[in-house]
Amino acid sequence: MNFTSFNFLIFFPLLVILYYATPAKYRYITLLIASYFFYINIKPVFALITAGVTLSTYLFTSLMGRTNTGPWKKRFMVINIILILLPLFFFKYFNNINAGIFALLELFHLKWPLPKIKLFLPIGISFYTFMAIGYTVDVYNEEIESEKNIGILALFVSFFPSILSGPIERAKNMLPQFKAQINLDYNMVSQGLKFMLWGYFMKLVVADRLGIYVDAIYGNIYQHNGTSLLFASFLYPFQEYADFGGYSLIAIGTARILGINVMQNFNRPFLATSMSEFWRRWHISLISWLTDYVYTPLSFSFRKYKVWGIVIALMITFFISGIWHGAALTFVVWGLMQGLFLSIEALTNKEKSIFEKKHNLSKKSWYISIGVCFTFLLFAASEVFARTTNINDAFTVYRRIFTVSGTLFIGRLSILIYGIFGLSILLLKDLRDEFAPSWFLLFENKHKFVRVIAYSSIIILILLIGVFDGGQFIYYQF
Amino acid sequence: MERAEVLSKLTVIFRRLFSNDSLALTNELTAKDVGGWDSLSHMLLITEIESAFSIKFKLKDLNKMKNVGDMIDIIIAKL
Amino acid sequence: MIKKIVFNIAIVFLVVFVLDFAIGRTLQHFYFKEKSGACFQITYSMETTKADILVFGASTARHHYVPEVFEGTLEGTFYNTGQNALGIFFQLAMLESVLKRYTPRVIILDAEDSFEKEKSSYERLSCLLPYYREHKEIRKIVELRSPFERVKMISKIYPFNSHVLTVLGMNLNIIKGDELYNKGYVPLDGQWENKIYPTDTYAAYMVDPNKVIAFKEFIVRAKKSGASIFVVYPPILQELNIRQEIEIRREICLNEKVPFWDFSSNVLFYNNKGLFVDMVHLNHDGAMLFSKLIAAKIKDAINKRMP
Repeated sequence: MNFTSFNFLIFFPLLVILYYATPAKYRYITLLIASYFFYINIKPVFALITAGVTLSTYLFTSLMGRTNTGPWKKRFMVINIILILLPLFFFKYFNNINAGIFALLELFHLKWPLPKIKLFLPIGISFYTFMAIGYTVDVYNEEIESEKNIGILALFVSFFPSILSGPIERAKNMLPQFKAQINLDYNMVSQGLKFMLWGYFMKLVVADRLGIYVDAIYGNIYQHNGTSLLFASFLYPFQEYADFGGYSLIAIGTARILGINVMQNFNRPFLATSMSEFWRRWHISLISWLTDYVYTPLSFSFRKYKVWGIVIALMITFFISGIWHGAALTFVVWGLMQGLFLSIEALTNKEKSIFEKKHNLSKKSWYISIGVCFTFLLFAASEVFARTTNINDAFTVYRRIFTVSGTLFIGRLSILIYGIFGLSILLLKDLRDEFAPSWFLLFENKHKFVRVIAYSSIIILILLIGVFDGGQFIYYQF
Repeated sequence: MERAEVLSKLTVIFRRLFSNDSLALTNELTAKDVGGWDSLSHMLLITEIESAFSIKFKLKDLNKMKNVGDMIDIIIAKL
Repeated sequence: MIKKIVFNIAIVFLVVFVLDFAIGRTLQHFYFKEKSGACFQITYSMETTKADILVFGASTARHHYVPEVFEGTLEGTFYNTGQNALGIFFQLAMLESVLKRYTPRVIILDAEDSFEKEKSSYERLSCLLPYYREHKEIRKIVELRSPFERVKMISKIYPFNSHVLTVLGMNLNIIKGDELYNKGYVPLDGQWENKIYPTDTYAAYMVDPNKVIAFKEFIVRAKKSGASIFVVYPPILQELNIRQEIEIRREICLNEKVPFWDFSSNVLFYNNKGLFVDMVHLNHDGAMLFSKLIAAKIKDAINKRMP
């Protein structure tokens, strides 16, 4: 079960009714059971890992809570972090590490064939592992006290809105909310429903529709010409935004209906005028986590190297971000590219601000537009590596873009029309939110009539052109 | 050293680092309020402060610095 | 407060319901007014054709059976219900809606599509959604898609999801179905110029039991109706991973006492690049040859049955 499967539309309303019917003191238990139910419905075995991570974290943070001084506090933290990273490493990286070791041994003419295990990556393991690590470090730093109630901790780790694909939340934000008396709040429910609706629009109408085209091109890079590859590479970041951003919005909306505030994950990323700004608007929860738990400690340790310390810290942080996304070399390259972009910006920041001040550029719209376009280009360029599955393919895409000319592949024209139509609505809304937040209010209009028509129109639009399954065959002729 | 002295010394550092001659520091000032002060430049700021006041921060101290006021408190505690 | 929430949600639902009904009905009306294209052909197959000779299948069905050949040799009208990329589930649905209306003289099942377990085989059945309401006989096939199809059909727009532009375009004559309405046959041009790559002919894969059941049901229903049914496996250019496919079909046809003609290694076609546009599709020359062979075989078989 996931947010876009039909049984979620049955599960969730039932859960909400059950949740608010439970006395406030025990609501977290209903939520905990529901979260495990949700998770077990994907693959039962995965729930064991989640439970394991919870147990280990509970145990070691309690121990940390009891030893306030001495080396053991740090040791408990490290042990727990290693323990809960083990399943993540095993499932995500085993085959790659295995292949790597195997290749290394081959260099020395040692043949040691380890079986390649067909492993299904437990859904969400990357997310809740990071959440648990963050909590462990927070307890060590005395930012939060170790949680005595294992049920509350278990809920934090398994919270179903965010377990699938984030946002990666902090214990400091979530635990108090779970423990507090959550009352049914009209505004929370209303806001939550609006978020969910818009999230579904982003995912079903924009992301999945554009995805049909992008998949057709990227699924056949040796058959498609440079024009098509370029166009698909241009669309892909928008698809990712609508997909990931939409999904996050559904998660946030779901949580909000349940009375829980979860952090924003995307903030109109394509309006960023620099990569540094971009990374404050894209996958905010991950970057925030990496900043607090990786980048800051690293840059602090390297601070005597001044700007170069920052560069090293950035590269390491984004290297980790890369492999967090996937166990392939392409993700590593992707991560390092982000690190490179940000390093260059960090190194040239002073000169840039002086230049901007001198010519009074920062408010000029043409300058902002150049920044927006350039930033998008950089990100799109790096996304080629994220979309392809091996380095060869990534370089082939680049090569063909520059060498193989031809007419743009259209396939079934309606797919592109629906996709770009949906995308335009999305981008117009983002532009409106960024530059004129009080104009053309629809979801937030003060007239109920306008609001109702707006909600209904989006729902109808989803019914008309949302992608509900893979039945949208791009090569299907009229 | 008194708060006022720390504040003025900090102001000099801030103004130089963020190229803003008119920047005025208050206790409530945070990174959001200052152009150019972000996670990328924060460590540079920290290093400058350490050398200016001849102190050494711990990582824990950084987490406690929510605004300029906290910063001053921690600096004074280390002097 | 709960009242307020429920009330507001109810209002939105009501407005959506009304809009959905109006727009859905409009789409339905104009969908069925289309005069060409794949959807029109599906409608024609299900509701209109009364041809004596019917072909069922997927893309090979569309490109291999020349109407004139069959009409000449077998002296009857011909129609081809095959549609690209739609497999046995679709074919069974077509059969059900045909048999509900009349019994054709000859039924040819071009059984080329794979029995492999694939999500897309179910997802592509979405093309049958517009017919769900009126055609009870295909409902159980459509419901293979998901246990919730009945619920989703409450929405009148749902069956026409992603069809808006097509329906609009066809009706405003901005677009036309690209093949001529020639009884479902689409001739292909050209020859296979590329190298023939050897393929792994014995790679195992998971067979979808639903498809096997559907195949058997097709044959049983067709035979029971009184029509003369013939199951054909079309020619291919070179050996592909089809051993398992053919064996399953051969065995079922044997059990049901239905003729199964396997042309996959027929000497006239095998390795004969001049007759193919790709590894599995014949060009018009190939189709002519193939059609003549099949038509002759059918005539022969029918004659033998007459006392």
